[in-house]
Amino acid sequence: MRRALAFAVLVGVGATVWAGFGTAGDKTVRSASDTTSVTISNEQGTTWTCGFSPFNGDVNSLSFGPVYEELVFVNGLKSGATTNWLASSYKWGNGNKTLTFTIRSGVKWTDGKPFSADDVVFTYQLLRKNPGLDLNADWAVLKSVSKKGNKVVFNFKTSAVPYFYYIAAQTPIVAKHIWSSIKNPVTYKETHPVGTGPFKMSSCSPQVIKYTKNSGYWQKGLPKIDTIYYPAFTSNDPANQQLASGKAQWGSQFIPNIKAYYSSKSSNNHYWFPPLVNVNIFINLKDPILSNVAVRRAIAYAIDRGKVSRIGEYSYEPASNQTGIVTPTFSSWLDKGLASKITYNPAKAVSILQKAGFKRSGGVFHTKSGKPLSFRIINIGGYSDWVASVQVIQQQLKAVGIKIKPENLSSTTFDSNAYNGKFQLMYNGNESGGPAPYYELRQLLYSKNSAPIGKTASSNWERYYNSAVDKLIEQYGATTDSAKQHAIVKKLEAAMVNDVPVIPVTEGVDWYQYNTKSITGWVTQSDPYAKPAAYEIPDWGVLAMHLRPK
Amino acid sequence: MRFVLRRLGFFVVTLWAAVTLNFLIPRLMPGNAALAMMSRYKGRIQPQAMHALEIAFGIHTHQSLPAAYFTYLGNIARGHFGISLTFFPDAVSHQVLQALPWTLGLVGLTTVIAFLLGTLIGLVAAWRRGGFLDGALPPIFVITSAFPYFWLALLAIWFFSIKLGWVPESGGYDVTTTIGWSWTFIGDVLRHSILPAFTILITSIGGWILTMRNNTISVLAEDYVRMARAKGLKPWRIMWTYAGRNAILPNLAGFAMSLGFVVSGAILVEFVFNYPGVGWMFLQSVENQDYALMQALFLLLTVAVLVAILVADGATALLDPRTRDSS
Repeated sequence: MRRALAFAVLVGVGATVWAGFGTAGDKTVRSASDTTSVTISNEQGTTWTCGFSPFNGDVNSLSFGPVYEELVFVNGLKSGATTNWLASSYKWGNGNKTLTFTIRSGVKWTDGKPFSADDVVFTYQLLRKNPGLDLNADWAVLKSVSKKGNKVVFNFKTSAVPYFYYIAAQTPIVAKHIWSSIKNPVTYKETHPVGTGPFKMSSCSPQVIKYTKNSGYWQKGLPKIDTIYYPAFTSNDPANQQLASGKAQWGSQFIPNIKAYYSSKSSNNHYWFPPLVNVNIFINLKDPILSNVAVRRAIAYAIDRGKVSRIGEYSYEPASNQTGIVTPTFSSWLDKGLASKITYNPAKAVSILQKAGFKRSGGVFHTKSGKPLSFRIINIGGYSDWVASVQVIQQQLKAVGIKIKPENLSSTTFDSNAYNGKFQLMYNGNESGGPAPYYELRQLLYSKNSAPIGKTASSNWERYYNSAVDKLIEQYGATTDSAKQHAIVKKLEAAMVNDVPVIPVTEGVDWYQYNTKSITGWVTQSDPYAKPAAYEIPDWGVLAMHLRPK
Repeated sequence: MRFVLRRLGFFVVTLWAAVTLNFLIPRLMPGNAALAMMSRYKGRIQPQAMHALEIAFGIHTHQSLPAAYFTYLGNIARGHFGISLTFFPDAVSHQVLQALPWTLGLVGLTTVIAFLLGTLIGLVAAWRRGGFLDGALPPIFVITSAFPYFWLALLAIWFFSIKLGWVPESGGYDVTTTIGWSWTFIGDVLRHSILPAFTILITSIGGWILTMRNNTISVLAEDYVRMARAKGLKPWRIMWTYAGRNAILPNLAGFAMSLGFVVSGAILVEFVFNYPGVGWMFLQSVENQDYALMQALFLLLTVAVLVAILVADGATALLDPRTRDSS
């Protein structure tokens, strides 16, 4: 009797569990039959706060693009080709120190109120009053912003052509009638954003944001899909799984072994990873041994970038070249002659070191005073691809008699060391780049972006000071002439090749996967109308509005 | 009565010590929240903007340590934990309250189920020592408990949701359902909890089974059990009220502890299943050097464990008269 009872309990438990699975199965295997919605899968590592302030660097990618818009759209994949957006036209004047926008008429905020030049002026004044909101440091170069009828006039402190990108394309315009009554805009959460964009944020929970079509959007006939779902993924695997199964159609993340895991699962699964900025070895130019250009050149010759890309990056991130021009994205700017000057050549690396007077003993080169060429290289331990890449580089440098010791740090320690110049070598691709190669070269080489060791440098972390290069960078800022700009960038490339202040190794990409089963209109390699990753501001709003049901 | 007062006094002193440590430890940690924040702006931000943000975050308050301590105590008493860096500009309390129900629902419920089921199986297995149940279940569950959790969870996802498609593989609910007290939503939440709950259950149940079984076996050898048998009591009554009641006592304290730790969430579970609970939030707060969030979570954990221990003490006193007498 007792045995029978125990057995019955066991069977009962089993049956309940089984029944649970059974009923669950029937309901969950439902496909997204709603063809007018798209689901984004982009591991953010965080749940949503449901704050949508376009001036909060943590969440601005959730509103700037689909909800908030900019004055002029700049296409970073077409060397900065412009499309007028909330401005219907713009004009430089006064020796490229004055920029005048004509504000588009007939645009409405999603609460029905009309958009006007007042909103534009208000937005830039808001940034001036609250430097905490000025993410692109617009007011570092601006002198004044004023209204003239339906025009807005920007006066700059100096000729500021490259700042057009930050002012016109990277600053979201907000509604005066809403933001003017906010007491502390820096800590303002903005739970119900009112924008001019193609979509409205219609509901949000920590797990998912739902955007719906703005039927009164000023670009007639757009957008063509009704709904965007943006679930929060805190880790990579579930996000990848949603993409592979087709539950999410738009991906923006790293997928290991993508051919087996993603593209082979369906003929509708596609991906494209357009390169945007370099991942570099930053060399501390204040280091007594590394300040010798021969050592830096030897390192540059000793690295087989193709192999680093294949082993460390699954070839997703292609090999860079020493000029710092990201190809094929910016190929028109590349000086091929310069690029071919430093290629993989370990024999040359050895001969450079020998000529410079270094002596090899025990497999490692030593300085005349007997110090070995042995350097620490810092890296972010959480980026497994970077860690693998540095291992490959370590092997290649060992072959030419240079020793490097990887130190894999947490990203906060890493950043603090980078900003303060506390490293010998550093593997880093955290510069933000821009719509033309100039932006990255400026971040890497301009001495005003640097600082003495121990002080915070914003992007010239290797501490490169070259007044000739500074002058070139400033000259570029004063011209809108494309031929002149190209000539200046070629001189900057020459500085990269001759001085080797940083060594570009691979090219960081925009992660982008897309599914064409029920939706079309995606950005493709042959039609790169916007940067395609769902975190690119404001590009992803442009991509979203051009999607359409098949 | 004296027993209760003593336990309460102990509770208050421990709580004060925990709250104070919770104040001090983050301040002794290396690193700087301002830099953690700056790195997220990719070096584009100007120094003056940095300064404005630091003020907004409350990083640069020139307060002496004792003054900061009393402000901290006052804020805690009123439930103010400050602004989270990770979820800027949201209040810490709001974020924690949003995540807590998910964790309590999933991990809390599974802990209780694992305890009840494990205790029951252990008791029955010991009672029918050498029988079918005793031969099959304890070894199986002890083996499953020894599996690394994340491995088992990934395997379960692969088999039950990817291969068979029975259950969803991640998240707390389907992103296309509307949140609310509707049957569709509740059903959806339940469906999403099956796999995480199942994996927690089979990895945690083994411990309960084993201890309960061993406790019961040693209790069964006691004289009062023999006495009960000699008096001719019904077997199930001996099993429940003689063996079970005494054998469960050592397990009770362990159960209280594990209930307390429920609020810390199960980091691995939430990570693997992309579940929106506090375990994952813990990890984030440490990675981002989000002191405000860290403090709130650690305090929550400490208080939960202390309260659980207090309750377990009470329960032990109720079930076992000896603890009352000895005090």
